[in-house]
Amino acid sequence: MLDLIVIGAGLTGLIAAHTAARAGKQVKIVTKGLGATHWHAGSIDVLGYYPNSATPVQRPLETVRDLTRARPQHPYAILDGTLSDALKNFVALAQELGLPYAGAANDGDNLWLPSPVGAARPTFLAPRAQLAGDLRRPEPMLIVGLRGMRDFYPELIAENLNKQGHRARAAFLPLDLITERHDSNTVHLASALDDPARRMKLAAELKKIFQPGERIGLPAILGLDAHAVALDDLQAQVGAPIFEIPTLPPSVPGVRLTNALRHRLRQLGVRVEINADVIGFHAEKDRVLWIESDASGRPLKHRAEKFLLATGGILGGGINSDHTGKVWEVVFNLPLTTPHDRGEWFRARFFDPAGHPIFRAGVPVNREFQPVDANGGRVYENIWAAGNILAHTDPILERSLEGIAIATGMATARSACNLKP
Amino acid sequence: MHTASWHSVGMTLDECIKCNVCTTYCPVAAVTDKFPGPKYVGPQAQRFRECGQIKSPDISVDYCSACRVCNEVCPSGVKIAEINARAKAQIVADRGIPIRNWFFGRNEQLGRIGSIAPQIANLGFHNPFSRLMAEKIMGVARHAPIPHWSTEGSFRKWFFRTPRLKSDKKVVYFHGCSTNYYEPQVGKAAVAVLEHLGYEVIVPPQNCCGLPMLNNGEFRAGEKLYRDNLAKLLPYADKGLPIVGTSVSCVLVLREEASEMLDIENDQTRRFRSALWDMSEWLRDLLDQGKLDTNFRELKMIVPYHVSCQARAHRMGRPSLDVMTLIPGLDVREGNAKCCGLAGTYGYKAEKYDIAMEIGEEAFRFIRAQGDDVKFTTSDSEICRWQLEHGTHKDCRAPIEIFAAAYGLYDLDRRRLLVER
Ligand code: SF4
Ligand code: SF4
Ligand code: SF4
Repeated sequence: MLDLIVIGAGLTGLIAAHTAARAGKQVKIVTKGLGATHWHAGSIDVLGYYPNSATPVQRPLETVRDLTRARPQHPYAILDGTLSDALKNFVALAQELGLPYAGAANDGDNLWLPSPVGAARPTFLAPRAQLAGDLRRPEPMLIVGLRGMRDFYPELIAENLNKQGHRARAAFLPLDLITERHDSNTVHLASALDDPARRMKLAAELKKIFQPGERIGLPAILGLDAHAVALDDLQAQVGAPIFEIPTLPPSVPGVRLTNALRHRLRQLGVRVEINADVIGFHAEKDRVLWIESDASGRPLKHRAEKFLLATGGILGGGINSDHTGKVWEVVFNLPLTTPHDRGEWFRARFFDPAGHPIFRAGVPVNREFQPVDANGGRVYENIWAAGNILAHTDPILERSLEGIAIATGMATARSACNLKP
Repeated sequence: MHTASWHSVGMTLDECIKCNVCTTYCPVAAVTDKFPGPKYVGPQAQRFRECGQIKSPDISVDYCSACRVCNEVCPSGVKIAEINARAKAQIVADRGIPIRNWFFGRNEQLGRIGSIAPQIANLGFHNPFSRLMAEKIMGVARHAPIPHWSTEGSFRKWFFRTPRLKSDKKVVYFHGCSTNYYEPQVGKAAVAVLEHLGYEVIVPPQNCCGLPMLNNGEFRAGEKLYRDNLAKLLPYADKGLPIVGTSVSCVLVLREEASEMLDIENDQTRRFRSALWDMSEWLRDLLDQGKLDTNFRELKMIVPYHVSCQARAHRMGRPSLDVMTLIPGLDVREGNAKCCGLAGTYGYKAEKYDIAMEIGEEAFRFIRAQGDDVKFTTSDSEICRWQLEHGTHKDCRAPIEIFAAAYGLYDLDRRRLLVER
């Protein structure tokens, strides 16, 4: 019998499974598909904006302390001070996996990195390849695109950066420097740059167009499996700091992180059951005995001692809704915090700083991250919930998605498996 | 709660969130420009195919190998491969079917004709000149691993020639055309295992499952085969007998693919579906009930296991692996490759042979990486077995042959039963 089944293979699920498996537990992941990590910028947001405030957060860990005092139901408050240790554990894990992460030079500050359209986005930790893009650094930027590559427009990025007072200019190189193919997505391009010969060609051209003192921003395609080598190699050959700007999905920094985590999970003997859409479960009294996933012949039963729900919120598919205003949690039909009236789901303005109430819909939990009902009573004795499905937060708006994913993923796996922090 | 399987295929395209995860994992898009990827030919192009329009807007969908990797990874449950299959059928309806694909659809007839005089048929077909002519005239790839007709006679001939065990416990066996004409050893191993477990094996009249026709867009002909099988086998299902198959692809077609693609879900198809089992899945079910004889003898060897795309499409977990891990001494190593490349009849087509071999490289590389003393590999699909043997020059055995060997009934080297009844 398995100790733990994690439902969902986003960052939360992968981290939770890793935490339990590393401690020697028998773990399996059951997931409908591969998801959120593929449109993930690769960076770790902890807190970019305080709820309902348009002012960006300078020092997230300090502001989180205010947040937990003001909102005792927020997942960060339930974590009870374990957030910064969780982040340290993540940095150590990423280092082991060969994908080093770091934060701002002034320890504890948010980084400011350019988005795929040249907006500034606050984030706490970034893959090494994104660090030189920090907008608080003074060097001017050369943003280089590849003509023919989809969804990456250096002029747009440079223009938007200029508008915000950052010096940047744009340049194009031909796509056939790195691929013979006419139509490639970012993952194919990244894997083409695993090849040293192609990198050499790219480096030679970059050398011709960059001016001394500039740093170079490229789409995040600098290698897939050989990323670390690819980055060092390019910087050395060009002789300038190079940074990656994450792209529209598929986002390679997110794919690298997913691949690395899945590889580690395989080494730890964790099976990832993909295309397993959970369609039912069986409970006796308040104990879940198994879950069932859809299959070609008959539902497939998955038994375990404990279950950890990491299916994501409305956007991740862990919560569904219909036109009548019904909103439900898709696996265990757990109680949710939801606006009562469908008319209250959205505010009038798309970018309203207060966000849309529907995105706060989530699973309320107790101090152990176990789902509770409206009276605060635990629903099942062997279920935990983590990540974006948790109530009382809007992680997209707060820019707290990965912080919550990592810290609650680790905390719930520990709580479920009785592990010491 | 939702039952994804019965979800109308067309409806699922509205669930597409354009995340490109499918394009990232599609093995064909990864290696050729001729195929823009699942998102584009699937949910996107489908918008232009609706409304009873006859001409398909694109023909690149013909390069889809039907491996279903896209379905597997899609986080939104879009039935991309089925959308593509229907689009291919539309092209066939519009333009007619190439003669070659017509032949591929008639695997069963070819099997029957060739097995009248297999030595002559093998000689006639499997010589460099005929293969060259077949490529020039019909576009059948010259080097592709087209199977040889079995020279020991068909499976059915053997089955009805030899005395069989009688028992109260009965199982119906679906062998499929490949086992009957090309790999009768697989059927013999299956019968030996079932009888060893005390079951009387019933082999009713049956015909080709229809997979090659469905894959080549010949829906009408495929439907006829499906309905014939339904008529022949449903009476057994209604008597409560399990119908067990050793070819994962046939079982998949009978259980789900045909009725779903052809839109003929009804009470009969559902009764049929719930009686059908993949052999390993059925053995695993016995195991779960504590009824499987696990008295296996030691098989000391490393066996790389390629999970065929059709086995994955069942969404039934890894039953072959679950049972193989019970065999003492056997070191089964699950590969990670998405597809062997052959995908039904795909890699047999001259214009697609190179693509198929490039796709297969991931699987071949995995097998080579397991060391030189690997003698056998294993995979649930005959198609995969032929392709893996072609790509690695190592013998590939069906899991059921390995089980039979572990029960002491079968010689894996010489591919024959140790004891004939
Ligand atoms: S993976 Fe699914 S949701 Fe994403 S683009 Fe493909 S079909 Fe659409
Ligand atoms: S079925 Fe396979 S080849 Fe066809 S689109 Fe999907 S992943 Fe690509
Ligand atoms: S042969 Fe296999 S893995 Fe391969 S294409 Fe097949 S079914 Fe897919």
